[in-house]
Amino acid sequence: MSRTFIRRLVALGVCLLAAPVEAGPFSATLVDAQGAPLAHAVLSLHAETPAGTPAPAVLDQIDKQFVPYVLSVRRGTAVSFPNRDDIRHQVYSFSEPKRFELRLYQGTPSEPVVFDQPGVVVLGCNIHDWMLGYVYVTDDPWHAVSDAQGRVRFDDLPPGRYRVTLWHPQSPAGQPQPAGELAMTDAALKRRFTLDLASPPATPPAAPASSPFADAFQSKSRAAQP
Amino acid sequence: MLLSRNSVHARLTGLVALLLLSVILALYVSVRLVTESAIRQGASDRLAVGLRVFEQLLDTRAAQLRDGVVVLAADFGFREAVASGDLPTMHSVMLNQATRIGAQIALLMDDQERILASNVPGMPAGAYFPHTAALAIDSTLGRGAGVVVLGHEPYLLVEAEIRAPLPIARVVMGFHMGQDMAADLRSLVNLEVSFAAIGRTGESHVESTLAPDEVRVLLPAWQAGDLPDGMEELELDGRSYLTDELVLASEPDYRMIAFVHSSLDEALASFHELDSRMLLIALTALLVSLLGAQLLARSISKPVRQLARVAERVGQGDYRTPVELHRNDELGSLAGALNHMQAAIAERERRLAHNALHDPLTGLPNRALAIERLENAIRTERPLALLHLGADGFKAVYDACGASCVETAIQTFVHRVKSALPAGASLARPVVDEFLVQVDALGADASVGLADRLLQALGEPLVIEGHEFRIETRCGIALYPIDGVTADDVLRRAAIAMRDAAAQPGRLQLYQQGRDHAYDRQITLVRDLRHAGERGELLLHFQPKLDIRSGQVQQAEALLRWQHPAFGMVSPGEFIPLAERTGSIQHLTAWVIEAVLRQLAQWGERGVSVQVSLNISAEDLMSIDLPDRVRDLLGRYRVPAEQLVFEITESAVMQDQGRALAVLNGLRALGIHLSVDDFGTGYSSLAQLKRMPVQELKIDQSFIRELDEASDDAVIVRSTIDMSHALGLKIVAEGIEHGHSLDLLERWGCDVAQGYLISRPLPAAAFEHWLAERQRLPVSVE
Repeated sequence: MSRTFIRRLVALGVCLLAAPVEAGPFSATLVDAQGAPLAHAVLSLHAETPAGTPAPAVLDQIDKQFVPYVLSVRRGTAVSFPNRDDIRHQVYSFSEPKRFELRLYQGTPSEPVVFDQPGVVVLGCNIHDWMLGYVYVTDDPWHAVSDAQGRVRFDDLPPGRYRVTLWHPQSPAGQPQPAGELAMTDAALKRRFTLDLASPPATPPAAPASSPFADAFQSKSRAAQP
Repeated sequence: MLLSRNSVHARLTGLVALLLLSVILALYVSVRLVTESAIRQGASDRLAVGLRVFEQLLDTRAAQLRDGVVVLAADFGFREAVASGDLPTMHSVMLNQATRIGAQIALLMDDQERILASNVPGMPAGAYFPHTAALAIDSTLGRGAGVVVLGHEPYLLVEAEIRAPLPIARVVMGFHMGQDMAADLRSLVNLEVSFAAIGRTGESHVESTLAPDEVRVLLPAWQAGDLPDGMEELELDGRSYLTDELVLASEPDYRMIAFVHSSLDEALASFHELDSRMLLIALTALLVSLLGAQLLARSISKPVRQLARVAERVGQGDYRTPVELHRNDELGSLAGALNHMQAAIAERERRLAHNALHDPLTGLPNRALAIERLENAIRTERPLALLHLGADGFKAVYDACGASCVETAIQTFVHRVKSALPAGASLARPVVDEFLVQVDALGADASVGLADRLLQALGEPLVIEGHEFRIETRCGIALYPIDGVTADDVLRRAAIAMRDAAAQPGRLQLYQQGRDHAYDRQITLVRDLRHAGERGELLLHFQPKLDIRSGQVQQAEALLRWQHPAFGMVSPGEFIPLAERTGSIQHLTAWVIEAVLRQLAQWGERGVSVQVSLNISAEDLMSIDLPDRVRDLLGRYRVPAEQLVFEITESAVMQDQGRALAVLNGLRALGIHLSVDDFGTGYSSLAQLKRMPVQELKIDQSFIRELDEASDDAVIVRSTIDMSHALGLKIVAEGIEHGHSLDLLERWGCDVAQGYLISRPLPAAAFEHWLAERQRLPVSVE
């Protein structure tokens, strides 16, 4: 429960950071081919308007999971990977847009990772095979990740024309899918997008159920900490 | 001692052996059946367990191998190389890892199953991996592991996904399922293991821990598709295996099957040990029981043989040695019975021997024993006397009061003899009424004295059941060595002396030298008399009889004469008694009758008419057909019966009066005259005389020979003549030798005279001549 709550808080924060004050609200609902709401999908809007320097982003590791599961950032964003677990992680990526490896660490590494190429970066942890996370790097100034109901919302999207791109971890060939254009006026706009997936949407992998042995080990190591 | 096959000993032993063998055989067969079934069951169980273990092992093996591959797949450097598309690095890392875990095949493919790197011939980079299905989740060994056939050889393939962190490639490694793996598995499940890759088109490959020879046997059947289905027993090159199989892969073009074989021979090998043990036990038991049977059999057969030996000994006449067998069983009682039997037989044989040599009535030695004793004495050349006693009169005892009286009489008699005998004399009873007394070292005088004492003692009358009997006893004595040097001689001469003694006044006779020659003569006469008639040695003499009143001679007595070829003329006084004793008198009488009739017939033809008398014996009167025979002869010779006179003695009629009278009447009926001969010597009464159909009496010559007026004989003769005349009988006097005798007889009225005074007996021709002369001359007695 607390994880869902935190995730919502983060999503809200992102939206707040991204929303210009003067723009009108734009909301969209993303569904899959079956019409089911699609979570963890990225909707990005391309506009000719230049964007400012992207704000840094954070991708936590909580409870041996990447949070959020999908993070969308503008190119050049510096993302820090704080480790909120009491164990070490070794985050890596072999993805073309950004290859990196954060050696075993605890807490927040000193240097954030700057994603300077657009594309999909798949994150893994070298010591927790199930840990999986995505960083969607885009040039589009406007982008957001859908919530559990498949909703995205841009409150202060200025009027103008936008080219819409959709992406999801199970997108065909893992590639972003163009979803037409969008004409934004002062009025609030509400759209619904359908994304055909290569496979059914995968939920973010959870840590395997702890075994009595692991529990015992864990509690012991916790007790050992000052 | 050699034992026959049929002896109790051998049979008992054989029976025990047979029993034991059958028990052992039955035991062996049942143990064998049960064991074999248990072994088969065990082998089958072992195989089933083995197969499960095998399957588990194979799974485990696959899992282990997969783990190895997974470790490779998780290697960060490897993943990095794959993710970055660094092919040379990928290749080298993969091969390095393959070597590390012992895989023969290594292969890397992308998520589209396109091969990126490979060391498998025929699967170059860029090609698509053809065996994905074998590694699918439903393969025999579970997801990520499977068995495939590559180039006809079976491989265990395992795969692992390479994640970065999403799956970007798969690495596959293959392990050859060859001898090594089979041997490995065999060492774990303790069963023979075979891997067979059977192609649909017939090509096959087999890896096995079985011997190559066995596989060679197996292969053709498998290639022909004749695969075992479930648990089956296979016969491979002479060895038996229980086999089960596990299908590891079944692809369209081949099948991959693992076989496990449980060797029955190995299982049965333990039974062979049992076999040899049982054989050992059987042999030991057989040996021990045979030994036992031997002992048992010996304990039976030894006493049986002992008893058999005793029986044999008894058969040979040894009754003295008793059976020494002290047992409480049946053999013991048999031994007792045998002892008893032995004693009984000994007693019976002794009695038999006694009876054979003794007279049952008196218990005296019989003739055989007497001879033996005599021979024994003679063998030692001891002088002895043999007394031969003859006793007459027992017949009178029998006639008077029967057989039991005779026995009593004989026993009393013997008792008397015994009491009169000195010590050392031995008495024997060779014949019913004769006894032998043998006395050692007894001379002639002493023996005569002993005989005299004996005769005196025996002269006393016997009184039996109130009757008084007089037994006439006579005694002959022969001495050894004087009268003979052999037992035979002594015996014979004692017998002769005894016979001679009958004629002696003292009825006692010492053997006289030469007497046995007289005896021999008698034997010869008896023998020759039988044939004398046929040989023409017999002839008749006729003695004239004078009719005193008329002075005429018209009668004669036929007297038999025997001209013996060796002894010359034998007197009738000698051979007639012999003939009477030996039963040939009838023969002689028949001859005489016929000879007389023939002579009468001849004389009749010449006009000579004589009445001829002849003597008939007592035996003749017993033959009832005599009258018939005489009638036939009379008819044949045509002689009137009146010309015949048959003279009979008084005693001849005494034996069987009825029969004798019948014969006499028969003869009289023919017309034959009958005359009583030797009248006055017997005891015939006038009443008897009157019953007999006689016509004349013949006074015995003993009364006539010395007849004179004053003697007692004269009275007898005169009264006899008077009596005869009173009875109507003619009277004949014979033996007349003196003239005054004839005068007296004439005076007393005697009818006929016969004697030397008239004529001696004459041959037939002489008699005829004499008769003719007398008729021609005037009567002149002198």
